[in-house]
Amino acid sequence: MAKTVDAARCKSCGKLMYPIHFYCLACKGREFEPVPIEGDGTLLTWTRSYALPLDYAQLFLTLGIIQMDQGIRVTGQLDIADPKTGMRVRAHVGKVRETMGKDIHGLIFQPVRG
Amino acid sequence: MIDELEAMLRPPKLEMIPYPPKSVVLANGETMVIRQASTDEVDTMLKIIQPVTWLERDFYDIVSARVFSELLGWKKYRVRNAYCLVGTIDGVLAGIVNGRLFDERYGISYHTLALRRGLRVGSHLFAAKMEYHIEYLKQEEVWIVAESPIGHRRWMIEYPLRPKYEIQHELGGAPSWTLTRETYFAAKPRLVTGTRPVSAELLATSYPIKEPDLQTFLVQIEDTMEARL
Amino acid sequence: MRDVAIVGVGTTQFGRAQWSLLKMMCEASHDAITDARIGDREIDGIFVANMGAGRNNKTLGIASALVDRMNLYPTPAEAIENGPASGASAVKTGYMAVASGMCDLVLVCGGERMREVNNLEATECVSYISHRYAEYVYGVTLPALAGMFARLYMQKYGVTQEHLAMVAIKNHDHGFVNRKAHIRERVTMEGLLHGPDVANNNPYVADPLRFYDCCPVSDGASAVLLAPASMAGDFAKRPVRIAGVGQATDCQAVHERPDPTELPAVRIAAQKAFQMAGLTPADIDVCELHDAFTILEIAESEECGFFPKGEGHKALERGETRLGGKLPISPSGGLKARGHPVGNTGVSQIVELVLQLRGEAGPYQVPSAKRGFAVNFGGFGNNVVATVLSEGV
Repeated sequence: MAKTVDAARCKSCGKLMYPIHFYCLACKGREFEPVPIEGDGTLLTWTRSYALPLDYAQLFLTLGIIQMDQGIRVTGQLDIADPKTGMRVRAHVGKVRETMGKDIHGLIFQPVRG
Repeated sequence: MIDELEAMLRPPKLEMIPYPPKSVVLANGETMVIRQASTDEVDTMLKIIQPVTWLERDFYDIVSARVFSELLGWKKYRVRNAYCLVGTIDGVLAGIVNGRLFDERYGISYHTLALRRGLRVGSHLFAAKMEYHIEYLKQEEVWIVAESPIGHRRWMIEYPLRPKYEIQHELGGAPSWTLTRETYFAAKPRLVTGTRPVSAELLATSYPIKEPDLQTFLVQIEDTMEARL
Repeated sequence: MRDVAIVGVGTTQFGRAQWSLLKMMCEASHDAITDARIGDREIDGIFVANMGAGRNNKTLGIASALVDRMNLYPTPAEAIENGPASGASAVKTGYMAVASGMCDLVLVCGGERMREVNNLEATECVSYISHRYAEYVYGVTLPALAGMFARLYMQKYGVTQEHLAMVAIKNHDHGFVNRKAHIRERVTMEGLLHGPDVANNNPYVADPLRFYDCCPVSDGASAVLLAPASMAGDFAKRPVRIAGVGQATDCQAVHERPDPTELPAVRIAAQKAFQMAGLTPADIDVCELHDAFTILEIAESEECGFFPKGEGHKALERGETRLGGKLPISPSGGLKARGHPVGNTGVSQIVELVLQLRGEAGPYQVPSAKRGFAVNFGGFGNNVVATVLSEGV
C-alpha cells in the first residue's frame, strides 16, 4: 500500500484539519476519517535551511509552507531549485528523514510544469 | 655552502608561485591581511603558539603542537615544498594555515589554527589555503583531514569534500578527504572572498608579526565563562 | 491576591561554561540570596526553569537536584518546562505561589547548559519544540521556522536585510558594555552585509536569515527571589513589583496559523499583562524582548503595542530603540549578544529589568527607568509570557 500523509476529516461536519487535533476545530466532534494529502497547492513561504539537525548530511534543506487546493496548509520539503512564493507546486510522498536506520515518509513538493 | 650530508637530508624543491596577499573585512569592521609567511617569521610564530599547546579545549593542544613542529620542520628544511599563510589584524597574528605539495598535481592541507575567535578567521584562512593550492599552485586536488570531528564535518558538507580513503593522510595515517578543482570552483562564489591587491600601506601593517597580549589571547582561546571572570 | 516584589537577583556570565549546569544554578541562586540579604529567613518555595537538561545534561528532576546541591531540603521545589519561555513561566509560577499566600519567600532559578553537547545535538534538541509529525520529521528547526516567517514578514512590511542587521548591530553595541554578555564584539554593516567578505562573515542560516540574525547557543543561569510586597522592606535592595503577567498560546504548527505573519500569542499575552498592571505600552521605559532571531525583535515590538504593525523597523531605523532613544529595547544586549541559555532566558530578562529599575545597570542604564516590560517567546510564538515590572512598592 502506498504511503500517505493524512489530514483528518470530521465525520460530523466535514471540516478538514492538519495536523490532527483531538477535537474537531469546528464542531468539537471526535470521529474522523483519514484523507490523504495530495494534489497541487500554492507555495506561501519557503527557506533554505543550512543549520541542520541530526540525520542530515547535506549542505541545506529547502522547506516550505504550502496552501493545498484541498483546503489545508502543510509544511514540507521542496525539491525545487529556485522557489518563489506564489508558485504552483505538486505533492508526492517520499523519504524526508532517516532516523536510526528507519525511513520517515512525508510530503515533498515539485514545481507544477506548464 | 651546505655539506653533503646536510644536502641529503634536505628534500628536493618544487617551484612555488608566491601567494598574492589579500584583505578581508571581518564582521566587526576590522581588516585582516592574509599573506604568505616566510621561514624568518617562524620563531615569532612558535613563541606565540607555544602557550596554546597546553590547552585541551577544542583540540588546541594537538593542533598547535603539530603546527609548532610543522613550522619548525619547515624552517629547518626538513619538510618538502611546504608553505604557511597568516592572517593578521593590525599586525597582530589572528590565524595560521599551512600545508605542502605532495607533487605538482596533489597538495596536502595540514592545519588551520585560529587565534582570534568569534570572527570566522578560520573559515577565511581555510578558504585562502584552498585558493592557493588550486588557483595559484594550479593543483588538481588537495588532501585533507582534521583533528576535530565537528570541524571536519563542516568542511565535508560545505564544499563538499569527497572521500579518498585509499590515501593515508600523513597526519597520522587517517583516511583522506579531497577537494577537487571542480568542487573548488563551484564553491568559490560562496566560500572564497577577499580583496586584491593589498595597498603597500596596508601590507606594511602586517610586518612584523606582532604577538597578541597573552592574557587576552588565552582567555579568547579558552572561550569559557570561567576564564572571563 | 497579594502584591509580589522581586527582592533579590543574580546571574552568571553567559557563554560557554566549564562549570556544570547545577553549579551555575547554585552560583546564580547564591548571588540572588546575597543580593537580598535574606538573613534568617527561609526560602519556602523553589521553582526551576530549564528546557533541555533531560536531553543534554543527563538530568531529570532538576529542581530536586538543585535543592540537594544547595542543601535547601526540605523546601518544596519543582521545575517548569515551557521551551524557551520556561524562564518567564517559572517566574509567573513563583509569582502565583507568593500572591496566593502559599509562600512567603520564593527562589526562581533558571539554567541551561546547551554546550555540554555539540552543535548538532543542540540544534536537534531545540527542534523538538516544533510539531513532531507536521514539522520535525521534515528536518524543520527553529531557524527554519524563523526563516519562513521572516520571508513573509519582509515581503509584507518592507523590512529589509539592513533592518535585520541594524537589530544585530544595536544589540551587539549594547552587549559590548555588559560584562556578563556572551558576545562582546561590535559588528558593522560593512562586515555583515555591504562589504566584500559577507559570504564568509555572515552566511545564510535559513534564508533570508543570516548568521548574525540568529542568537548564539549559550550556557548560563539566573535567579530571582520573590516576596510579598508588604515584606519587601525587610530586604536589602529597593524592591521591584511584578505589576502584571500575561500568557497566551497559539497553534503549534506555524502553517496552521490563519496569518503566519501574525503573533497573536504575543499580542494577547502583552495585553493581559498591561491590563493586570493597569498600564499601557506608552508607560514603559525599557524593554527586554525575545530576539532569538533579529526579525522577532521587530515583530514583537509591534505585537506588544509599542509601534503600529509594520512600523517597528522604521522606529529601529530612527534609533528609537537604541540605548539613549525613546524606548530602549534590550539594553543588556538581548538574546543576540547577552546570550540565550534557552530555559533560563525568561529569568535573565527579569533580572536585567530589575537592575534597570533599581538604577544598577551601570554602563547600559536607561536613565530614570521606572517601568519595564519583558516578553518571553516559547515554541515558535505558540506559548508566550509577558511581564510588566514597576519600580518600588
